[in-house]
Amino acid sequence: MENDLMERYIYAVTRRLGPKQRQDVAQELRGLIEDMLSERCAGAKPTERDLRVVLTELGPPGELARKYDPAGDRALIGPPYFGLYKRVLETVLVCMAVGMTLAHGILALLEPGTWYLLVGRWLSGLAAGLVGAFAFVTALFAFFSWRGVALEQYNFDDLPPVPKKRQTAPVWESMAGIGFCVVFLVIFLGCPQIFAMPDGTPLLSAAAIRGTWPVPVLLAALGIGRETVKLLERRYSRRVFLAALLADGLSAALMIWWLEAFPVFNPAFFEKIAGLFPEDPGFSSFFVKFPMFFLAVFLFALALDVLDAFLRSREV
Amino acid sequence: MDAQDLVSGLVSELRRGTLILLVLSRLRQERYGYELVKELTDRGIPMDANTLYPLLRRLEGQGLLESTWRTDEPKPRKYYRLTALGGEVLSRATEYWRRFSRQVDQCLEG
Repeated sequence: MENDLMERYIYAVTRRLGPKQRQDVAQELRGLIEDMLSERCAGAKPTERDLRVVLTELGPPGELARKYDPAGDRALIGPPYFGLYKRVLETVLVCMAVGMTLAHGILALLEPGTWYLLVGRWLSGLAAGLVGAFAFVTALFAFFSWRGVALEQYNFDDLPPVPKKRQTAPVWESMAGIGFCVVFLVIFLGCPQIFAMPDGTPLLSAAAIRGTWPVPVLLAALGIGRETVKLLERRYSRRVFLAALLADGLSAALMIWWLEAFPVFNPAFFEKIAGLFPEDPGFSSFFVKFPMFFLAVFLFALALDVLDAFLRSREV
Repeated sequence: MDAQDLVSGLVSELRRGTLILLVLSRLRQERYGYELVKELTDRGIPMDANTLYPLLRRLEGQGLLESTWRTDEPKPRKYYRLTALGGEVLSRATEYWRRFSRQVDQCLEG
């Protein structure tokens, strides 16, 4: 019984330790407890009560295990990052909630249906969005904390100059950006058929879009990531520029590939348009090339965005 | 929080760093954990085994101590000894401690 309690105690301490030191610590603790018992009993046979006194002196097993392995106690997101993590998390969650609600409100107006189904769709979208945003921000900060990414400048000479007015990145700007990504994603995936001719011929192929859903999700995630970096910096900086360059570059590549490889646009839509203007082949051929035109506008917008980030982040 | 709580908090802060110095100084000669607990207690510096044992392991991990299991005794025991690095750290830290404690004393008296 006595030994049983001792072994149970030792097991409770060592089971939390790494496999390499488990055996060694167990053997050392066994020796220690026996030494403490023989000191206490001075030659007499220790009773269970003695063992309990000795173990009480050693303290709760969990506490002892933590002393052996302080690294095991380290937080996923440590003190220098935690305050900022909380602020960014709050902001991103608010954007996600507002964006989702707005998007589902628009969807409900476009496609009226039974109210409880609409509410159900809104709630499930809200839950998925909030969980996703939470995971995204947490993973980002866990990475910062793990790698010790410097979010603050400690060297006086490297302290950034006070941003000029054009260099400040107000929170509302990032919030609007994140909200827009959410609205775009929900409407795009939830109701791609809203972009349609009056007779209902859709501009986009709902099947192709839903079949390649990770692409719009990734596009929205890139946008949210880029805005999150801006939220962290609160100003246009080199980092914001690099994040914009990376996110926009990836978005451009993704969009080109998506439009090339999948029939995202519905060809019937353009044939219908062309059919409306039989006497003007130039005008209808423009519409046949509409996907190219759309891509060009999209790429132009991205290029403008990168240029804007570059010019605003420049220290003049 | 009364004065007693504040004093014990302060005292444990003060002890934390000096205990490492004391442990290193006692391990110029090979010793096992409980032997060290008793030795320090006899010298009027009581230290709990549950603090000392994890500390020994941490110092060993930092390369300040090395250890060997002795199985030729009735009970197998892990003996710790100062390494060359541990010796260097000890002598530099001791030097600092002497100067620092003298200055602290002067400050407290003045």
